[in-house]
Amino acid sequence: MPRIRGKTKTAEILTLEDAVKKHMKNGIQIAFSGFTGMNRNPFAFAWEIVRQGFKDLHSIDRHGSCCTWLLNAVNALKIQETDWLGWGEMAGKIDLNMERNYKAGKMIIEDYAHGAMAFRFLAGAVGAPFMPYYAPLGSDLYNPKYDALGRAGLRDGKNPKIAKKKFLQMEDPFWGDGEVVLLPAARPNLAVLHVLQVGDKGTARWRGVGTIDKEIAFAADEVVVVAEEIVPEGELRKYPETNQVAYFTVDTIVECPWGAFPSAVPFCYDYDVPFLRSMDAASRNETDLKKWLDEWVFGPKNWEDFIVKLGTKRLIDLKADSVTGYSTRLLRGKKPAPRMKMALSVARSGY
Amino acid sequence: MAKSIEQLMELIDVIPDEPAKVGEFILPELMAVASAHEVRNDDIVFAGTGLPMVGIMTANYTTAPKAMLIYESGVCDGKTMHVPMSVCDHRAANQCSTIGGLVDTFGFFLQSGFVTLGFLGGASIDKYGGVNVTSIGDYYKPNHRFTGSGGNGDIGTMAKRVVYIILQEKRRFLERNDYTTTPGWWCWDFKTNEWKPKREVWKNTPFAECGPAAVVTNMGVYRFDDKGEIYLESFFPGVTVEQVKENCGFDLNVKNVKGETPTPTYKELFVLREFVDPELIFLPQKMEYPKEIQAIIDKG
Repeated sequence: MPRIRGKTKTAEILTLEDAVKKHMKNGIQIAFSGFTGMNRNPFAFAWEIVRQGFKDLHSIDRHGSCCTWLLNAVNALKIQETDWLGWGEMAGKIDLNMERNYKAGKMIIEDYAHGAMAFRFLAGAVGAPFMPYYAPLGSDLYNPKYDALGRAGLRDGKNPKIAKKKFLQMEDPFWGDGEVVLLPAARPNLAVLHVLQVGDKGTARWRGVGTIDKEIAFAADEVVVVAEEIVPEGELRKYPETNQVAYFTVDTIVECPWGAFPSAVPFCYDYDVPFLRSMDAASRNETDLKKWLDEWVFGPKNWEDFIVKLGTKRLIDLKADSVTGYSTRLLRGKKPAPRMKMALSVARSGY
Repeated sequence: MAKSIEQLMELIDVIPDEPAKVGEFILPELMAVASAHEVRNDDIVFAGTGLPMVGIMTANYTTAPKAMLIYESGVCDGKTMHVPMSVCDHRAANQCSTIGGLVDTFGFFLQSGFVTLGFLGGASIDKYGGVNVTSIGDYYKPNHRFTGSGGNGDIGTMAKRVVYIILQEKRRFLERNDYTTTPGWWCWDFKTNEWKPKREVWKNTPFAECGPAAVVTNMGVYRFDDKGEIYLESFFPGVTVEQVKENCGFDLNVKNVKGETPTPTYKELFVLREFVDPELIFLPQKMEYPKEIQAIIDKG
């Protein structure tokens, strides 16, 4: 049923601990911002979810990320409904925690394609029950045999967050443009966004790619915005065209510097390749993983303590360049990055 | 003395555009350049993470400087300085024309028909160019579970031409995939259990004529005939047609083989090593240049 919102939300400023306490419940459907494990993952929030021990969660997303990696590390995800199950791209492609849980039958995976998932969130955001999309017709993604939630008996209409069908294929009735696939709107209970700046009323701004963060903010029932800094709302209203999230969608604001570590916040800090690789290495066996969790998740007193533990050198290396928005001091491959001033392709293309 | 990046830039037009000899380059370089040759100067390219990104960047720096790059996280025409490790890496967004999100890239750009070339990877491929990036074995009890579609299913079916970069092994070149994430020129109809041409399944949609155009592996370059079946076009130096056939899980058409795949030129290798991946993120190592090329670099 489409939601009719009775009144404007008033965003509340809370600490990370209190925000997790206020919004989290076992079994809710949740979507995280950013893209893969490398861009604007609200990792601090997921970290606090794990510390507070929430379970049986249903992640609905267009990617795996550092957040889903961590939740899978403690088997807190019961359902992962997504289109890309990796997490760290070149620093750790397959989420081994997920693979282990999935093979042991501890979780359900529902597959879609990227554009399909984006359109599902778009439908959720604009209040439409479903959205038509072409791709990928003829794929096993649209083979009724591979409807994992249906097979598990979860499409019976009892869970208001799970659609009664995975998809419906039909002939375009308006223009005769062939077969299209109708995709159900995504309407998570909770969206958690990590952004560069948030106004004290909730208007939010990021730089760089938006992925589907605006869509998840409008599609979800409740929205938490975690930001590098809270600024006076009026500051963000000087250049409103650079803001993405409308304040009336936001329930809770959290100020949490370095809260997206080890992913990047463009123009603030870069993703930490060695740390991502160490996470991937730790997930290779359960003893190492437990040690990693004890050291990095349950060990620190709070998120600030976690960041302090990283050390100043690492934070300097990660600090983004104000021109490019990323860092060239960090060793990502086997050799240091060249200090280029202008993209070669710009020089060569004549733009 | 190590040259600055600006000094190296000046050298691009001086390094000879002649084919390098076997032994002067490594396999990933050959694969990257072979895939770069698929890019046309007027292409709007939608590229995935990994070797596809290296290939398109190389093309962008050499044969196709005007080719426009779309990265799925929302970047339109990024002019990359440092190779991105992911499509959402802010390095991909350098000097881009507009920036948005997935609805922009998959909706406004891809589904509305602007993308002329898709550049993707895959775990296995069938003889009609259908690709699996989801799972090996039974879907619900997989031997291997991969990442799943990501943009593969969307880009692979809706870009005008699609190029795949795939490792060639018998278990990766199959009559039919265990799971088809992205159908090629023929789709398996699970109602009737038979192959159906994509042109029929996608009839009247704007994408009936879109699909795989080439496959680059570690052994050669493949194309598709009028029936939509894959055939070997050229093989890499040091590889024989028999070896290619042995590493294929179906009876491969080798009647149209043109010969050896052209080797990278010194200029292409120079661009790849000094500008695309000097950090050695994708390339395992940096080869030494032959003496005469090194002399040009030292002198420059």
